[in-house]
Amino acid sequence: MQLTINGKSLQTEADPNMPLLWVLRDVLNMTGTKFGCGVAACGACTVHIDGQAVRSCVMPLSAVAGKRIDTIESLGTSEKPHALQKAWIAEQVPQCGYCQSGMLMAAASLLARTPKPSDADIDAAMTNICRCGTYPRVRAAIHRAAAELAGAPAVASASTLEKQA
Amino acid sequence: MKRRTWLLSAAGAAGALVVGWGVMPARSRMGSGDLMALQSGEVAFNGWIKITSSGRVVMAMPRSEMGQGVHTALPMLVAEELDLPLSAVRLEQASADKIYGNVAMLVGSLPFHPLDSEGGEKPAKVRVGEWMVGKIARELGINATGGSSSVADAWDVVRMAAATVRASLLEAASAQWKVPLAELQIKDGAVTHASGKSAHFGELAQAAAGIRPTHVALKERKDWKLIGQSAPRADIPAKINGTAQYGLDVRLPGMLFAAVRHCPMIGGSVGTLDDKAALAMGGVQGLVRLASYGESTEGFAVVATTWWQAQRAALTADVKWLPRPAGNLDSAKIRDALEAAVKIPDGHTFHERGDIAQAEQQAARKIESLYSAPYLAHATLEPMNCTAVVAGGKVEVWAPTQVPQMARALAARVAGVDIENVTLHVTLLGGGFGRRLEVDSVGQAVRVAMETGGKPVQLIWSREEDTTHDFYRPMHVAQLTGSLDAQGNVTGLRIASAGDAITPRWMARGIPALSGPFDTPDKTTAEGLFDLPYGFANQKMVHAATRMGVPVGFWRSVGHSHNAFFSESFVDELAASTQQDPLALRRKLLAQAPRYLAVLNLAADKAGWGKALPAGHAHGIALHESFGSIVAEVAEVSLPDGKTPRVHRVVCAIDCGTVVNPGIVAQQMEGAVVFGLTAALYSRIDIVDGAVQQSSFPSYPMVKLAESPIVETWIVPSERHPGGVGEPGVPPLAPAVANALFTLTGKRQRSLPLLSV
Repeated sequence: MQLTINGKSLQTEADPNMPLLWVLRDVLNMTGTKFGCGVAACGACTVHIDGQAVRSCVMPLSAVAGKRIDTIESLGTSEKPHALQKAWIAEQVPQCGYCQSGMLMAAASLLARTPKPSDADIDAAMTNICRCGTYPRVRAAIHRAAAELAGAPAVASASTLEKQA
Repeated sequence: MKRRTWLLSAAGAAGALVVGWGVMPARSRMGSGDLMALQSGEVAFNGWIKITSSGRVVMAMPRSEMGQGVHTALPMLVAEELDLPLSAVRLEQASADKIYGNVAMLVGSLPFHPLDSEGGEKPAKVRVGEWMVGKIARELGINATGGSSSVADAWDVVRMAAATVRASLLEAASAQWKVPLAELQIKDGAVTHASGKSAHFGELAQAAAGIRPTHVALKERKDWKLIGQSAPRADIPAKINGTAQYGLDVRLPGMLFAAVRHCPMIGGSVGTLDDKAALAMGGVQGLVRLASYGESTEGFAVVATTWWQAQRAALTADVKWLPRPAGNLDSAKIRDALEAAVKIPDGHTFHERGDIAQAEQQAARKIESLYSAPYLAHATLEPMNCTAVVAGGKVEVWAPTQVPQMARALAARVAGVDIENVTLHVTLLGGGFGRRLEVDSVGQAVRVAMETGGKPVQLIWSREEDTTHDFYRPMHVAQLTGSLDAQGNVTGLRIASAGDAITPRWMARGIPALSGPFDTPDKTTAEGLFDLPYGFANQKMVHAATRMGVPVGFWRSVGHSHNAFFSESFVDELAASTQQDPLALRRKLLAQAPRYLAVLNLAADKAGWGKALPAGHAHGIALHESFGSIVAEVAEVSLPDGKTPRVHRVVCAIDCGTVVNPGIVAQQMEGAVVFGLTAALYSRIDIVDGAVQQSSFPSYPMVKLAESPIVETWIVPSERHPGGVGEPGVPPLAPAVANALFTLTGKRQRSLPLLSV
């Protein structure tokens, strides 16, 4: 089967019923996309199919043949990071970090279709589970990235700064 | 030559005096350089620090990074003492020596009342207890990441190790250049002199390593450049581009994957297993039966080329399960048994003050409430997993574990090899929360790898197995009785609680040599009830340790996680029944605990306690000390649909002693609020006919972004020894929310989760 992953074309003999997540992880050794639940409930496995955020743990390989697949490995590079990756550093988002690949891919898809998301847009789009509870910083970082992409000056995060009494 | 050695030794002893006797135990944990593996050109100074020929500083890292920021906070201590940028300190996994044991965690398990240690000098019983347990802990050298203790434990020894390296480098330069020590500068990895002489650490390392420095002194607080700053976390860049390596991301040539299926009935076993259908499936290599670990449950693993193939075959295999020999477990029956146990409290008295019997006799009235909390799963987002190779009498293991030496010992036991033949690599942890203080999946991976002809195996549990076969937070029940005089003053507080002990069971499965014939009283399940700061004149706290048969383990903030809900809800009950403001009552009861009072006041002030809130909103407050830190939280809550709580904002105040990285403190408080909110609103594990009823996130739901409150963290400045940060934010959340709900509804909820039907 012919696949296009992160702009590269490749062949795989994997079972067409195998979910894309396991093709990525166990066949292609692309481990940036994570396994969290296998039932599309947590979003750790989020990738883009033709630009849309999709939970790859329930997406059979046969359904993605010929489509454009993008994973966390292609979101940005250290030389040219995605605005979200810069915002993730500025807001110091990750803790254990295990959910963050999926979190970033979900956020990237949101910004692609809604360049200036409201809090309600973020609430609706970001349904990924973070067991460490990085949500307040995820929200702040999405706003920050949106502002940067719009050419606005960076905003200080209002909700999450530590304060010295 | 001999005389010179003696002189240097004497000078070394004098050096110790410079920093005082207080850090002598830290010196005993400095270790020697041969504990660090050396590449060509590297020079090790002690068990913690080596320097490469190019001058890079490498720190031995004994603690696991599971999100709490330890891989940033500990190298900050090294960078501070050596005046380096944080990015100049590289980490290598520490070896298996005793110096890397977590002394602070064991000392923290002593059941002393924290108010005993509030004053200038600790009472004799506390000093003796801490000295003895500290000594035992140094002898045992149990390497564990838990108990919010990593910074507290490393604080003296790591700074001392780095300060010693600094002194050695300076003395080496002084001797080489024949210039006085006082004229030397150290900055950015180089020693310089006004004459223009300069050498980077790598150039001085060989000469410096042979020196026992005469003037070792920790930096003074006023000279700190890094400690107390929100240095960016060192682990974040790899966590946002997919390159961070968790246990699940280990990839080895020819690696196979294993999926696990346990008997659905806890404590049950595999009766018959027909492997024909499974073996006929694509990619499947074989099936391996798995023994139980401690109270855990037997099962089997399927090995295949990919995990999806292994999992599909595991679900297909035809298996007849056998129930638990002593009868299937049932959480409703356990709850009944615990409720009965608190009515006849014959447990261990953890705290007693005044005369509670007399206070109750003389009481004008009594308030009595029964509280309960359910079993809980940890639900780390990275499911249980481990990768192992067993070949040629050697075992190599990659594990996301909080207890590397316990994992290594189990690997040796399962494979039947000497522990020296086991190499253990600690990966990043996709969440820990105490679940990874258990090494069950390590034993399973090694067992499976013994059957694959030397091929590596990565064993992964499905989410459903993870939820249904945890070492759960034990169910707990507590009865709290307040005595009031005719004026409505609270004259006495009696608490009886019951639930399974954790520590003795954990010791028995992980460190069998330390396990005794009976269960010792377990501080970790009584904490949060016996150690309250309030000045009730008469108090008695009794805890009955039960043994119900459910596998139980440490869950983020352990006993505090449910006991704070019991105690801080009950304090609110006392306020309500005496027509007092909950904040005012707490203030009145904290006259003898000024640090607690300051934290409480800070949270209340910043949240605007008593000021008008939007219609339908209410504040709830809770204060709780755990792991050496005091936290108060004020939750602003509403009930938009009349039944589902919405937590809008949580204001946290924390006194965690000296702060190494305030940014990480704020992060941990935010995370603790969300983690605590999930437990407060949703989490329960029910066991029916032996089987856990919840299985994956749909049935064991988590708070998501849309429900996440705004979290504000205020840190009280302090010069005390560092306290914990990872766990102390969790306990006050549930009672703060429950207390706000009481204000909104007039209905007191005494059972978790709050959304329970």
